[in-house]
Amino acid sequence: MLARIASELYWVGRNIVRAEHTARMLDGLFLLELEGGAEDPASVPLSWQSIVVVMGIEDAEAAGSDITREGVIRSLSGDRDNPYSLISCVGAAREGARQLRETLPAEVWESLNTYHLTMRRRNLEHGPRTGPDSAYSYVKERSALFWGLCLATMQRDAAYSFLGAGARIEAAEMVLRMLRVAFPPVRSADDESLELPRRDGNAIALLRATGGFQAFMRSAAAAPRAEPVARFLLFESAFPDSVAGSVTQLGRLVGRIDPAGSTATLRIARLISDLGLRSRSELTPAEMPRAFREIQNEIERVESDIAARYFSPDDQGIQHAVLS
Amino acid sequence: MSEAASEPPTRDPFAAYQCLAGRFDEAISPDGAPRAHTRRMLETLARLGEQRLVRAAERRETIFLQQGITFDSAGPDEGSGDRPFALDLIPRILTASEWNFISAGVAQRVKALNHFVSDVYGAREIVREGLVPWPLIASRPGFARPAHGIEPPNGVFCHVTGCDLVRDQAGEWRVLEDNVRVPSGISYVLENRIAMGRMLPELFGGYSVRPVANYPEFLFNALAAAAPSPRGRPTVVVWTPGPANSAYFEHAFLARQMGVELVEASDLVVHDGTCFMKTTDGLARVDSIYRRIAEEFIDPVEFRPDSLLGVPGLVNAARLGNVAIANALGTGIADDKAIYHYVPTMIRFYLGEEPLLANVDTYLLGDPEQLENVLGRLDQLVVKPTGESGGKGVFIGPSATEREMADVRAAIEADPANWIAQEVVWLSCAPTLTAAGTVAPRALDLRPFAVYGERIEIVPGGLTRVALGEGSMIVNSSQGGGSKDTWVLTEPDDDSLALAPGLTPQFEPPSLPALPQVPWATQSQHQQQQHARRVAAPPRAGIG
Repeated sequence: MLARIASELYWVGRNIVRAEHTARMLDGLFLLELEGGAEDPASVPLSWQSIVVVMGIEDAEAAGSDITREGVIRSLSGDRDNPYSLISCVGAAREGARQLRETLPAEVWESLNTYHLTMRRRNLEHGPRTGPDSAYSYVKERSALFWGLCLATMQRDAAYSFLGAGARIEAAEMVLRMLRVAFPPVRSADDESLELPRRDGNAIALLRATGGFQAFMRSAAAAPRAEPVARFLLFESAFPDSVAGSVTQLGRLVGRIDPAGSTATLRIARLISDLGLRSRSELTPAEMPRAFREIQNEIERVESDIAARYFSPDDQGIQHAVLS
Repeated sequence: MSEAASEPPTRDPFAAYQCLAGRFDEAISPDGAPRAHTRRMLETLARLGEQRLVRAAERRETIFLQQGITFDSAGPDEGSGDRPFALDLIPRILTASEWNFISAGVAQRVKALNHFVSDVYGAREIVREGLVPWPLIASRPGFARPAHGIEPPNGVFCHVTGCDLVRDQAGEWRVLEDNVRVPSGISYVLENRIAMGRMLPELFGGYSVRPVANYPEFLFNALAAAAPSPRGRPTVVVWTPGPANSAYFEHAFLARQMGVELVEASDLVVHDGTCFMKTTDGLARVDSIYRRIAEEFIDPVEFRPDSLLGVPGLVNAARLGNVAIANALGTGIADDKAIYHYVPTMIRFYLGEEPLLANVDTYLLGDPEQLENVLGRLDQLVVKPTGESGGKGVFIGPSATEREMADVRAAIEADPANWIAQEVVWLSCAPTLTAAGTVAPRALDLRPFAVYGERIEIVPGGLTRVALGEGSMIVNSSQGGGSKDTWVLTEPDDDSLALAPGLTPQFEPPSLPALPQVPWATQSQHQQQQHARRVAAPPRAGIG
């Protein structure tokens, strides 16, 4: 498969998932924020500011979004100038798919194109005033339709693997980013007896923002409190959008592309073992931020490995080409 | 109202709002100005205008039907059938101090009712003290002989109680009745809040509303606390009579929210005094059953032998202390409208406290003197059958016809002990959106839900039911009533929520790298960026 095509597929997968997770996150926070004021410590510190941090938008004001509910929703829903907005992600996925018309099944392309056209027609600017949930459910439904069509109509070949690999990387990345923002480091080194603030409001919002509330309630032998929720979203590989779930699927997909193994497959395998090991040991609230950061760093390395191995063959020389 | 409809639709929906004479209005003070805590909401509503409200109302139907949130209605004008639960778009707001009073009053009442049930099926001290007559207790349909001597492991009988509160002409809270059997409606409290957020998020602006979403956790904890003996996380189930039940939606909702199984009778079996459910892994022991089924159907061995919905031997399993049933068997006695009259007595007797929430003045018609007095002024009183719920058979004197009056008189004379009479409470009103798109005062009540586990937890607010007909005071959802989202505001300086000053931990918001983006213009640019990224990020050490 052409490296360019592989890269486009990978990014289509990433963008579709990015839009879906952003929609879930906005929806979850929107509902959370209506209840309990900002003064309620249970809802600290998930806020609209958090979402901007999750997306890694450094200079929010320069990006044209003031940190209010309306500002963030507008900027991340219908703002075509913001590369992280729903409309931009879907547009980017569709633009990528346009260059993949010979690879993607026609039904998948048509569905994605309809998704894009409808998003453009929808008055997302109007969303904040009428309740933006209809746009979010549309994004979730269309995303499900996209993956459903891929599942039903695509040959399980390298193209399918790259599409899925992009999706799983993005899901793992987004969930980790949310965890990092929801459970930030606490500056309290001088006083060990200091109790951590109740973050249970966060925990439930986090489950909502990942679509995992019901899955958590069915699987976990615990109330939706901070620590079990963090463990669930990291380690519960039976939940597809958990970090472990995403990385395990990623390993399977990349393994299919590269049965002989590569830095990427080895690193993924090591990450899976690492997650397994961590899941069997204690994870105190104080240790969480560091664990999240380490896991996220490793996922970033997997990303660069994948990009280096598959999307930039000129750097690899001829060797790999001969081997594979 | 007809001339109002022809006006431009963007006008203030409150333009024609008139408080009802002689009624307490929850949003407007007697001088016609909005109350302090409702002012902001009324301003927002006025700003949104009528058109916006009507549009939101249209979306409401879709949202509720889509989610399958329906209530089986037996309204007078239509046949029975699923209809969307009618949520009014204008929330009811309770201040923190009002709520503190209500929740203290409800908790007190629930505690006393629990003592009473325990006493009735145990030592009967309140009877021996001569405070409540035994013949009255024993003749109640809610009195369950098989429950005698069953003491739940943690002493709690009334795990879930819904007290129906009303506000009288003076704005005083009074208890209209206690629902201690299988009170329903909590799912609407949670769904209403979500729907309000979706339909009219602007209304929340400037308010700090206490969340209601933790109810399932309270309920689970209470059910777990009731479980017989600690064997790890207890197995809790919700028992529904089946999909044909009018509250099936709520049963499924609670099971889903708690992450537990929703079972029917055929899923349960009792062996050797222990209750199991039938799973793909064989029989699994059940520790706690939240039953949403009337107790007379629960076990054909002990109650109605013709019940097909029951589990034979279940009562015996509960008697042996092998399974907890919530609410416990026999709680119907505390639910009876003749027993209601004695609740203030119970509070004084068991708790040694004065009741915080007053009863409505009630006459027991089993007493010949009271009966005579009541029959003389039927047109001024409300008359209710004692063993019913859901507003069935309630007769309201002031609005009754001659014919109805004669019928109810005959029914009372035939069996006076099964009726009570109460003074009419002119329910308080609150602004409510009418079918015509205007806002008018409508009567309402409030059902807070108390969950009794290790202690009593009450979700802030509860179900506000509203009579949708003009002048109507029947709020029951099975009789065509609607509901309102009920907001309890946090206190501006609520110390219970804030951390002690100086101890407030400082959060360092993590600084995350920007999500990677690939420009789509040309592939060469893409690769350039890949290069750039790798140069910028040299390989780092492996994970520790």
